[in-house]
Amino acid sequence: MTDLQNPDTRAELNFLARRRWARVGVVYVLYLLFMLVFLSPLLFSVVSSFKTNPLDYPPTLKTPQLNPLNWIAAGKLGKAAGGGVWTGGAEPGNEFTFSINYFIEDIENLQEPEFTIPRRKPGAGLAAVKVPTYAADHLGISEIEETRREPYLLESLSGTAVEYTITVTYPEGDGPLLERVPLDILASTELIYLSSTLPASRLERRGRVASFDHIAPGVVGFAFYNYRRVFDETESLSTGRNLFVAWFGNSLFVAIARVVLNLAFASMAGYALARYSFKGRYLLFFIVIASQVIPSQVTFISNYLVLRDGVFGITRLFGVKSLLNTLAGVIVGGAGASAMVESAKVFIMKQFFESLPKETEEAAFIDGAGHFRTFFSVMLPMARPALGAVTILTFQGAWNDFFWPMIVLTSPEDIRTLPIGILYFRQIYGAAGDWGLILSGAVMSAVPVVVLYVVFQKYFLQGLSFGGTKG
Amino acid sequence: MKKQTFIPWIFLLPFLISLSLFFVYASMRALMLSFTNYNLFNDYTFIGIENYKALFRDSNFLFALRNTVFYAFFVTIVQTFFALVLAALLNIKIRGINFFRAGFYLPSVTSSVVITVIFLWLFQRRGMVNFILSRMQALIPSVLTLILIIAAVQTLLVLLEKRRGMPVKILELPLLITSMLIAGLAVTALNSFGIIPIPEFEEINTIWLNTRESFMGIPRPLWAIIIQNIFTTIPTLMLIFLAGLQDVPPVLYEAARIDGAGPYLQFRYITIPSIRPVLFLVLTLSLIGTLQMFDQVAIYGDAVPLQSVITLAYYVYNRMFPGGTLPQVGMASAAAMFLAVITIAAVILQRLLIKSEADR
Amino acid sequence: MRKLLLFGIVLLFAGFGLTAAGQAESVQQDEPVVIRIQGYGGQDPAIVVRLLNEVIGADLEKDNIKLVYEPIEGDYNAGLYNSLSAGTAGDILYVPVETAPGIIATGQIQPLNGLIDTTPFIDSLIEAYTINGDIFGIPKDFNTLVLYYNMDLFDEAGVEYPTDNETWSSLARKAEAISALGSDMYGIAFQPSYDRFGAFTFGAGWTPFDSQGKTNLMDPAFVSTFTWYTDLIKSGAAVMPSDLGQGWTGGAFATEQVGMALEGAWMIGFLNNDAPNIPFESALLPAADDGTKGNFLYTVAYGINRQTENLDAAVKVLAALTSEKAQQFILEEGLAIPSRKSLADNPYFKNDSREARANKAVFVGSSTGNVLGYQFGNVGTDWMTPINTAIVTVAAGEVSVQEALQAAQREIDEMMK
Repeated sequence: MTDLQNPDTRAELNFLARRRWARVGVVYVLYLLFMLVFLSPLLFSVVSSFKTNPLDYPPTLKTPQLNPLNWIAAGKLGKAAGGGVWTGGAEPGNEFTFSINYFIEDIENLQEPEFTIPRRKPGAGLAAVKVPTYAADHLGISEIEETRREPYLLESLSGTAVEYTITVTYPEGDGPLLERVPLDILASTELIYLSSTLPASRLERRGRVASFDHIAPGVVGFAFYNYRRVFDETESLSTGRNLFVAWFGNSLFVAIARVVLNLAFASMAGYALARYSFKGRYLLFFIVIASQVIPSQVTFISNYLVLRDGVFGITRLFGVKSLLNTLAGVIVGGAGASAMVESAKVFIMKQFFESLPKETEEAAFIDGAGHFRTFFSVMLPMARPALGAVTILTFQGAWNDFFWPMIVLTSPEDIRTLPIGILYFRQIYGAAGDWGLILSGAVMSAVPVVVLYVVFQKYFLQGLSFGGTKG
Repeated sequence: MKKQTFIPWIFLLPFLISLSLFFVYASMRALMLSFTNYNLFNDYTFIGIENYKALFRDSNFLFALRNTVFYAFFVTIVQTFFALVLAALLNIKIRGINFFRAGFYLPSVTSSVVITVIFLWLFQRRGMVNFILSRMQALIPSVLTLILIIAAVQTLLVLLEKRRGMPVKILELPLLITSMLIAGLAVTALNSFGIIPIPEFEEINTIWLNTRESFMGIPRPLWAIIIQNIFTTIPTLMLIFLAGLQDVPPVLYEAARIDGAGPYLQFRYITIPSIRPVLFLVLTLSLIGTLQMFDQVAIYGDAVPLQSVITLAYYVYNRMFPGGTLPQVGMASAAAMFLAVITIAAVILQRLLIKSEADR
Repeated sequence: MRKLLLFGIVLLFAGFGLTAAGQAESVQQDEPVVIRIQGYGGQDPAIVVRLLNEVIGADLEKDNIKLVYEPIEGDYNAGLYNSLSAGTAGDILYVPVETAPGIIATGQIQPLNGLIDTTPFIDSLIEAYTINGDIFGIPKDFNTLVLYYNMDLFDEAGVEYPTDNETWSSLARKAEAISALGSDMYGIAFQPSYDRFGAFTFGAGWTPFDSQGKTNLMDPAFVSTFTWYTDLIKSGAAVMPSDLGQGWTGGAFATEQVGMALEGAWMIGFLNNDAPNIPFESALLPAADDGTKGNFLYTVAYGINRQTENLDAAVKVLAALTSEKAQQFILEEGLAIPSRKSLADNPYFKNDSREARANKAVFVGSSTGNVLGYQFGNVGTDWMTPINTAIVTVAAGEVSVQEALQAAQREIDEMMK
């Protein structure tokens, strides 16, 4: 105590306290920093998935689609065109104006740009199959008006900024709702594009053409343009079903079926392994461990053939020729062992049951309950935490599963699950450099697991110790 | 434990059926098919070890072998090492750890397809990776100055404290933070006065994907996959290690410190031994996972030359469903056997290594 | 206990039941016969679906036949083998000429002798699908390579547009002038692979298989073409699409960073959809400096799945798909040139549109100079891989022409043993 009176000791204590605080502070900063670094690819791709062209260079977080000023403009345009503030589009009996600003160094060379509503399909890939209603067949463009002219400084060049405005009219009548109104503005090379009511989707022909995919989009139609494309432009050619929705449904079906089957079968098997001793128990253990070490590339060959030729003929009894290209095939078979009762899940259940005291069961037995009553009405309810972990882990595994569904589900397109669907997007649109659609599809496909993760974090992190690493 | 002959089998029935059909039978059948000339369409005949011989004449198989072995060992070692170091660095009990944990685990929740598609986009020629490299290159002079100033200020501060008789270390944290702040301000000032200009940054247009260039004898596209994998796995492994580390009683470190053990010795003789079981689990899972790397190759697809990223797992698939010719199920099976042997050998080897380490 | 077993069985078969129900639905009696056509993805679905709906669908509907097009994206051949094995392949299949021998060897393709009249089709195309007298496919159309160019870039560089009489050296000069427009501008997009590059070697007089059936990459004609092609990439006058982040030269052309590209008629539809504002025109491929042109003849046939349950309907559809009406439609949509002799001198070629001019060039290309089929016998498309590797490694400056070709030669020899 007396030491505290000593200025030197006090200084030293302060010094040590400072050291501790600094350490905590640094750890917090490091945590934040590392998290930011490790999550940056995901965050950046989510933001970029809104961009017309996510390959814009240099890459920036500034995304016109996420700028509230543009939302206001898009909403106004959508409302004026008659499609509504949110979803946009043009309806008969409406007109709206659209402006574009150019910079010109020498005003003597000024030439009016040309405005055209092109007859353009909504995109390549599957979208080109649909015969769209062309906005060009329904809309009229007014005379071009010069609405503003003022001196302007572009970087160090002094010149003039000129604004041109047109009015787009959709005459009264029983024309359809135009879901997309594209616009091309062709200017001479002297004019440099500055801005427009909505930012141009892209500049073509070395900057001479400002091209707009949709000039009456509404707020959602503008901000979620790529996301809308995922639904609008992916339709099965054979059934007309929306592919993304079909894939989503398939993934959900497979995941839920696998969860239910794993809960039932893995808990039964885990219980048997934990509580009974029987001949061949060690051999079984060995096989279970082996099934987790042997690569799935060994077993998928035979499993593919088993599905193809019918599961020993049993499936034929049900009128199913082959289980390939069916969701049942994905659920029943599996690349490692079977997707309906995974060795890893059996292990989780076994470990959990081993941790339970034996007295509860013995009490049940004494009360005269049989083996199965005991299991279903005494043991299973107690196993809720483990069942929770199995549910979450199985769902996550099934939702993200790639190799086995890729083998089983090849055609038609609407039988795939989401990961295989994203691969399909990557193949169709990746070659054309159309990353907007790929990224927004990928982001959407990840949403369900991420939501589940946010809600049931505890179970996920429990699962870490069971097998948290991926290939 | 109850002795029963009949009851457990009922409980095990569904599991046994699926395990025996889709695993035991499947493995045996693959072994059998590896000695045949089956092509999915013919009535096959046995052709001895022809398939195994043919594998070693196939350049794709040799590439796959090299890629797989390098990839598995490199990725496993590097990601485990960095995760361990990071965990040791962050091993302090703080409030709000759950928030950070949630963040770090996020990349492992999303599917490898989503992650790979995103990285494929980042690795485009005009993508984020090249952009960041370009920027970093432009900032090299500023960063060097920053480091110099930090070093200078830190030395000064440490000397001052020493004079006051404080038990200060060279990298004393509070002082280091102060020096960093000072240096940061100084460099910003120097930059804005143009004394150390930020140069026009030169675009780095490294082609990561469709190239046959290599680095250290390993094709560049494979490096892209390696970077992707290490980057997305480290946070998860770190969490696993962190959980293990936080169970280590702090008294141990305290005692070591009093005995004069530095950070390295503490790491070597307290951290490592106390998380040995976790380490074994992580190494095993990483090895098994990386030896079977398939998804990334399939998704990169025609964006990269096949030979530069092909792995054994993909080779098996590619022989089963090749593009230009008839399927070669026999060769696929033979290659799969190879992959199985390598996997088992790696797990056993690594188990032995960890054991001998423990015995020392 | 019984309850438990029942529970398991119900769960096990719930999935089967669902799919079985789904499949049973489609075999009701008064529903039309569905004929599934399996073909390429990419540009094809858009045009083929319109062909089915607008041109031949109505006639077939009278026969109570419904058509469905199922594209395989990605690797078509791998997808085809997979679906043939799975038993889910379409009734009518695209059979690409370069992989035809392997596909036919599965025994899953129906010989068409006696089922359909093959005389109206160009003989050399039919021949590519004839094995031991059996005809396994009716060529749906064919394609050759033409030179597409971006008029904007030529205007800006002040260079004359390419003509039908270009030679390699005049092409190189023009390419250099375009690439001088800026640091990220290139004269021509060169695919680093044999499926485009090969056309030049034919112009130089090289053939992929000599009289003994051997491939000789050390032939001076091959070496000089190879050197010219890779030098142009090395000098920056030509660019590989991958260097622009694109998968094929069409994609590179659409970025407006390259002045020229070599592609077939499929390019027209792509540009109209994906880059409608690019002012493009086309010309015949340039000739070697002695004036000889070379070109590839690409073709794809319709084959019939031997497992089809509706052979009669499939034959009817096959006939409709290769009818004059259908082929004329495909031609005018800018996908390929008709395989019928009677459509050879087509009035459409005289139309005054850039699409018609490009199609005309594709047609003329098939009979100008040394034109060879895109086929590699039993080796399949793997045959090209060593050559492709050689082009990329030399273009990147990693190895010399000599080393690269020697390595490729060794690999091809090993393959053809």
